[in-house]
Amino acid sequence: MEIIKIIGIALIALIIIIMLKQYRPEYAIFISILTGVLILFLVMDKLTGIVNLIRSIQSKYSINTQFIALLIKITGIAFLSEFAVSICKDSGETAIASKVELGSKIIIISMSIPIISSLLEIILKILP
Amino acid sequence: MSIDLLFKIAAIGILVAVLYQVLVRAGREDQAMMTTLAGLVIVLTMVIKEISTLFNTVRTLFNL
Repeated sequence: MEIIKIIGIALIALIIIIMLKQYRPEYAIFISILTGVLILFLVMDKLTGIVNLIRSIQSKYSINTQFIALLIKITGIAFLSEFAVSICKDSGETAIASKVELGSKIIIISMSIPIISSLLEIILKILP
Repeated sequence: MSIDLLFKIAAIGILVAVLYQVLVRAGREDQAMMTTLAGLVIVLTMVIKEISTLFNTVRTLFNL
């Protein structure tokens, strides 16, 4: 049922954008951003369900909580940066899009350093 | 936070486009520019409000 709403919003926005592009091109970008926000809000409650499921699994089986929290944070960063990158690419600013992508990659790598270091320690312990 | 927001922005866009043409035909280019900027600011504030709600929900969800 959600998918029909998503497709409907996307098609309506597409028609509005095409109509507005010839008179006022800047409003077309506003509408594309707003459609992205609307569709993300539609799927937001499912996303919360998934994240809560991951958290409940993590607390139930007491997996190393620090890493799971970090993974969820990294997915959040990737989620937001993908949102911005696609908007920048859509409006033709591929340079800005690649800068945002670069920034988000660097942030993700810097956040995943503890995971990498603990992985290396485990490997060193295993090696004779 | 629903589809009528899209229609509101489309209506403002069309209104500004029509007003721009009318004012340019009437010989008042500066007022035409003013109305375009005013429409732009109105729509920008609406869009920024929606984007900030999205960012807040995502931040609380992923506890960024």
